[in-house]
Amino acid sequence: MQLKRTYLFILGLILLSSFTSIHSNTASIKLLTSQTDYIVGTNVVLEFSTTDAVQPMLYCSNSYGSTLISPTLENKKLRYQIPANIYKKVGVVNWSLIYKSNTLSGVFHMVPKPEVATMETYIGPPSIEAGGKDYTMLVIIPTDSLDNPVPKNTTVNAKHQFLASEEVDNIVTNNLIAFKNIYSKKESGRMLISSECLNINSKEFTINVMPAVPVDFEISAHRPHNYADGNQVTTFSTTIIKDKQDNVVSDGTFVIFYITNKSGNILKTSGTTLDGIATAKIIHPDYGDNWSIKAYVEGMSESNTITIAYTQVIEDFIVEFSKDGRDINVGPLQSFMQQMIPDGLQVKLLVYKNDILLEKYTKTSVDGYAHFYLKSDIFKPDNYNIKIQTAGLEKTFNNTKLW
Amino acid sequence: MKETSNKYLIVALLVGLAFHGSSIFFTLETTYDALIHLFFADHYANSWFEPWNYEWYTGFTVQSYPPLVHQSIGFFSLIGGLKFGMFTVALIAIVLFITGSYRFSLLITSDKTVAGYACVLAVFSSSFVETLHIFGQLPSIIGVSVLMHALPEIYLWLKTGKLWYLVTSLSLISVTVTSHHVTPIFGMVFFIFPLIGMVIMDVSREQVNTMKEVTFKVFLNSFFKLFKRIVSFGMLSLVIIIFCILPYWINSKANPITQVPIPHGSRDNFLEITSSGLVFFLIPWGTLLIVLPYIFYRYYSKRYLFFGLSITICTILGTGGTTPVPLKILGETAFNILTLDRFTLWASIMSIPLFGEFAYRFVQGDLKELIQTKFGAVYHRIIGGILAGLFVFMVMFTMSLGYFRPSQPQKIKMLPIVNFLNQDDHDKWRFLTLGFGDQMAWLSAQTNAMTVDGNYHSARRLPELTTRPIERLENSKFKGVAGIGSLQQFLTTPEKYNLKYIFSNDKFYDPILYYCGWQRLRQLENGIMVWERLNIPPVPAILPKEDVAKWLKILWGIMPFLTVLIAFVINIQMLWVNALKTKIKEKPDFLKYPTRYIKFPRGVLFITHIWSLILVCVVVYGIYLFYLKNDSQRSPENAIMAYYDALDFKEFETAHGLIDPDSNLPIAQYMLEISVTDGLLSSYAKMDAIETEVTMHNDSTASAKVTTQWITPLEKIEKIDYKTLSSHKGKWFLQPDDLNSDLPPDQLYSNNVTKYFNQGRRRITTEQTHHEDILKQPVLEVLSAKLVKYDNHYAIIGEVQNIDNVPADVILKGTLYNDDNKQLATYNAKYHIKHKLMPKESSSFRINFEGIAWSKTQDSIPDTFNPDEFTPVEFEEQPTKFNLQVAGNVSGSDLYKNIVLSELNIEDGVINGNLFNSGIQEITIPQLLVTYYNEDKNMLWVDHMFVKEGIRQQRKLHFEYPILKNGTVKIINDDMTNIFINGLPNDAISEKIVPNRIENHANTQFQKIEHPDYSYIKIEMNTYIGSPN
Repeated sequence: MQLKRTYLFILGLILLSSFTSIHSNTASIKLLTSQTDYIVGTNVVLEFSTTDAVQPMLYCSNSYGSTLISPTLENKKLRYQIPANIYKKVGVVNWSLIYKSNTLSGVFHMVPKPEVATMETYIGPPSIEAGGKDYTMLVIIPTDSLDNPVPKNTTVNAKHQFLASEEVDNIVTNNLIAFKNIYSKKESGRMLISSECLNINSKEFTINVMPAVPVDFEISAHRPHNYADGNQVTTFSTTIIKDKQDNVVSDGTFVIFYITNKSGNILKTSGTTLDGIATAKIIHPDYGDNWSIKAYVEGMSESNTITIAYTQVIEDFIVEFSKDGRDINVGPLQSFMQQMIPDGLQVKLLVYKNDILLEKYTKTSVDGYAHFYLKSDIFKPDNYNIKIQTAGLEKTFNNTKLW
Repeated sequence: MKETSNKYLIVALLVGLAFHGSSIFFTLETTYDALIHLFFADHYANSWFEPWNYEWYTGFTVQSYPPLVHQSIGFFSLIGGLKFGMFTVALIAIVLFITGSYRFSLLITSDKTVAGYACVLAVFSSSFVETLHIFGQLPSIIGVSVLMHALPEIYLWLKTGKLWYLVTSLSLISVTVTSHHVTPIFGMVFFIFPLIGMVIMDVSREQVNTMKEVTFKVFLNSFFKLFKRIVSFGMLSLVIIIFCILPYWINSKANPITQVPIPHGSRDNFLEITSSGLVFFLIPWGTLLIVLPYIFYRYYSKRYLFFGLSITICTILGTGGTTPVPLKILGETAFNILTLDRFTLWASIMSIPLFGEFAYRFVQGDLKELIQTKFGAVYHRIIGGILAGLFVFMVMFTMSLGYFRPSQPQKIKMLPIVNFLNQDDHDKWRFLTLGFGDQMAWLSAQTNAMTVDGNYHSARRLPELTTRPIERLENSKFKGVAGIGSLQQFLTTPEKYNLKYIFSNDKFYDPILYYCGWQRLRQLENGIMVWERLNIPPVPAILPKEDVAKWLKILWGIMPFLTVLIAFVINIQMLWVNALKTKIKEKPDFLKYPTRYIKFPRGVLFITHIWSLILVCVVVYGIYLFYLKNDSQRSPENAIMAYYDALDFKEFETAHGLIDPDSNLPIAQYMLEISVTDGLLSSYAKMDAIETEVTMHNDSTASAKVTTQWITPLEKIEKIDYKTLSSHKGKWFLQPDDLNSDLPPDQLYSNNVTKYFNQGRRRITTEQTHHEDILKQPVLEVLSAKLVKYDNHYAIIGEVQNIDNVPADVILKGTLYNDDNKQLATYNAKYHIKHKLMPKESSSFRINFEGIAWSKTQDSIPDTFNPDEFTPVEFEEQPTKFNLQVAGNVSGSDLYKNIVLSELNIEDGVINGNLFNSGIQEITIPQLLVTYYNEDKNMLWVDHMFVKEGIRQQRKLHFEYPILKNGTVKIINDDMTNIFINGLPNDAISEKIVPNRIENHANTQFQKIEHPDYSYIKIEMNTYIGSPN
């Protein structure tokens, strides 16, 4: 009988002990910390109560990575100090504690600080076209002192100044950034842009609003006189070239002037604008001519056509041959007041034999004369046809005998 | 037997070190090769075990040259810098050469006094002076010196069979091979084979009583007796030659030299090209030429017979292209790869012992007696004086050659360039130097930046370089048309090589740089102009390299110094033994065969006299010819030649001296006239050829037709002038030419222009440029573009406009595809575009597709190559589509647009016109871009012309442009979908900026022409300003 009691007692003890172990498994570690949102940068400690002396590691992970943390045990409390590289970053932190086969897990959030330390600001393109169609995009990334983005829907003031207007737009951050497309106005000019968030201001940015493509314009010609002496400069200028919003086109705009002369040949000169006015120069022709001039900004705008006439100055000239026919003197070449034409008038001499051009010489006049010498080793003694051209005139000497 | 120190050797060493040691500081840096070795040394100093070098040729391996000398310089540079290392190694080379020539002479002559004479003479031998002070071939000198040290050891091994000598000789051979690869290989043939012959002779001699009894049979017997030693030495040295620089051989096998041979002066016909004859024949032989009969007489005596054969072959090979014999002996390939001057060097070195012997006999031996008895003491003294005088003259002449005919441009201060490359990440791009000469190697040694060029042509890898017979891009103007042709391919597509900066020390290259789309950045304080090209990507962080096995790298890094160490220990140990007299040393075997100088053969003296007489005649005749050629006024041809030469070298005073004094043209006026002529021909041309045809000639006057060929950086120009000459007192003078007397309208005038300045980096910071400081790329628009075929080559033509508000630098890159979208070719626009466009300005363009010229090495390079022409790329398939990438970048330079077409006439297919400069800069080279259209005003072709003369301010310039004759142009594709501006589609951009474009706006302003294929043309003008102010 005593033996039976002993058995029962032992059984009872076993039963009892099994209950205790189950009890200790389920209830020995408990989360004590109730806070789940922390301001980023604050110290985070997770506390657990424990009945055992065991110190399991805490598995902890955020979007940057995962780590294991060892606890410290004080008064049956497990304290897990979350490391700085986790509590300094905004975002969700998952943790789990695995002790024997049981798992405790949870989540806490590192929320952004309600402050701005730096504003990363980007803007581009740095130059846009006037007219209201083109725009530049301002992107602001306000971040706190730990380089974390501010909370979603934080208000950012995008400010810009253009001519007389100063505007402030309230935009909110989303997906870490706040952005605004700033459209150009009708006018060209300089736009200054800055932004502000939680009393922190960005630096200043500059956007150039450039004029749009030019519209048609008019041209005029200026010259010292209207004689075709080949020695003065005619200047063409445009009116102030503007775009359709009345902005003066940007300096340096290339304007090309086409000149059609009497014989239908196309000459050209060009100028670049300064304050909208392009000027182009051309030397006077050395023979009477009628020019019609039209200027273009290619593919975009054009001018009216103007015509100017140049009066022939040299009516006739004398050609003198030496005895052997090889020394040829052309002149005097006289201008409109019978003055000697300024040096540099081109005189051409063409030598033909049986209508075949043998040689062509171009010389420039000196003191109103041009002088040619036909070398005997090039032109054997024979009869040649000689043509002399200058100032749009031509003289032909057929069957000139060279000795 | 008591050893006494040889006084002559000590004198030679002291004098040699004092003379060469002090003069190398003035000569070595301006030699051809020294700076190259310095660059290699810099490589080893920085990465001893890594053979790959990124700095030259887009990467090459230094295992392409034996490393000992470079590693030694690199090693010493760790103590006192690279130049310290170079001079230290040069001093060592001098000592090695003098002692080497002593030992070699002792071996040959078996007489210490004679050997002493020889080594004193060797100090001043003109071939050594030239190799060291003009060529700077340190490895070659060290190689041949160590080889001379090895010869006695080899002799002793063969003669005595003591294994110790085998070890010493092999140790020295290994040093030779690690310092220079060619020396031991040819040294085997030209030095060691004859030496073997000499040993056999000596062994045979021992078996009989007199030298006369040495018959072929005896000789053969001795040969078989020594056969084992000979073969063992031969095999072992072969193993050493291969093993010591094994990586070199592996590399040569992996990268065989497949390049077009580079012309070398030593292959010239010395009689035709006298400068080569001087440098590669006359100087290295020097005074030896006089004693040549004696040297041959002695070397053809029985004992030295094989040396006789060897020196004969060397002498003949050293004559280069003068006779066809060397070409036949060596064969085409070897003849074109080897530089033949080395044979002359070896022949002259081989002559040293006998030259010493001659000197000995002349000064205190039997020759002296013979001459004195025959001709008297005075004659002997005079002859001695003449010979000594000649000898000293040759030394002085050789030393000062570099002074009279500088082989290098003036020394360039590298520091500003090095600083520039270190600034602002400039070394993230490759650079190129122009007109630096061999100093480019010195620049490379001082910077980490990489260049596409290089100075060791055997290591070139780019096919653009290996297919050209040019050493370097940097001196391409001296390589004529092939050089410029090669250079312009690099300049046109620099992004392929990440080439962004060019340092130009020669304004000759300026026009080609400008017309290839480069712009001037600034002039450095050393006068070097920096050019840059926009839109070039930086060198990638990871570059390709050809790696070799680690054990090869280790072998390469350790072996050279190891061979020196071993050789040092083994051979110097013997010196210790000698010095401390721990052991009584036996007289070496080669001293057992002294020649007794008792009777100088009269015949030799006679022949030497005759030979000297012949030499004197040749020299006098040569001087006479030289005088005839250089007496500039002896004949009309000479006068013309001298005049053009003077113009070519810009020696205007000389040129003025040839102008008829009766024409009353003072030098001031002449210089003034010269100074106002600018342009492609007068400022950027180098005369290539001149042909004078005197059409009329009598006593007092002459007329000549002068046809000159000029190489300019842009194109080859042929110019025909008719010159009249007159004779005064037997001297011929030229008549001056007429001047353009065009008088500008205004004395003082003003011009308003828009100028731009780009700050670049606004903040002073080493960081990358802040994003707000980065300018937007200017928006361009391609107005039209099409792929056309003209005269069997393909081109993309079209028109591009800058539609932005800022000036743009335009880079056009075209790519051709076939129907299956396979890429066939890609190239950039070169001359046929205005690279700089003002806002709203447009330009016609044409992209040629150039192949790598003469890419098939068997294609011979045309003699009449025109830099303006190009080799069209060969298409295996038909190109049918194209892609055009246009990049714009803001640029404020070269925006001069004040050029006016002020007169136009079309006659007989030639456009005659006047260009007028309406601005305030002098136009150096005007360019016309002529666009051809069909009757529907559709663009068909773009042509260009450089006007040869410049235009001064407010002056007119006449030009003639011949309209293209045959003009069948086939339009293959005019689909404009694949055109991208700064990476964005062309259509979208143009739609946004210019939505209402007036299509074909200026069509009404095309010039009508009469032509079967074309109906209209448009002329655009572009300008190069040589010196903007």
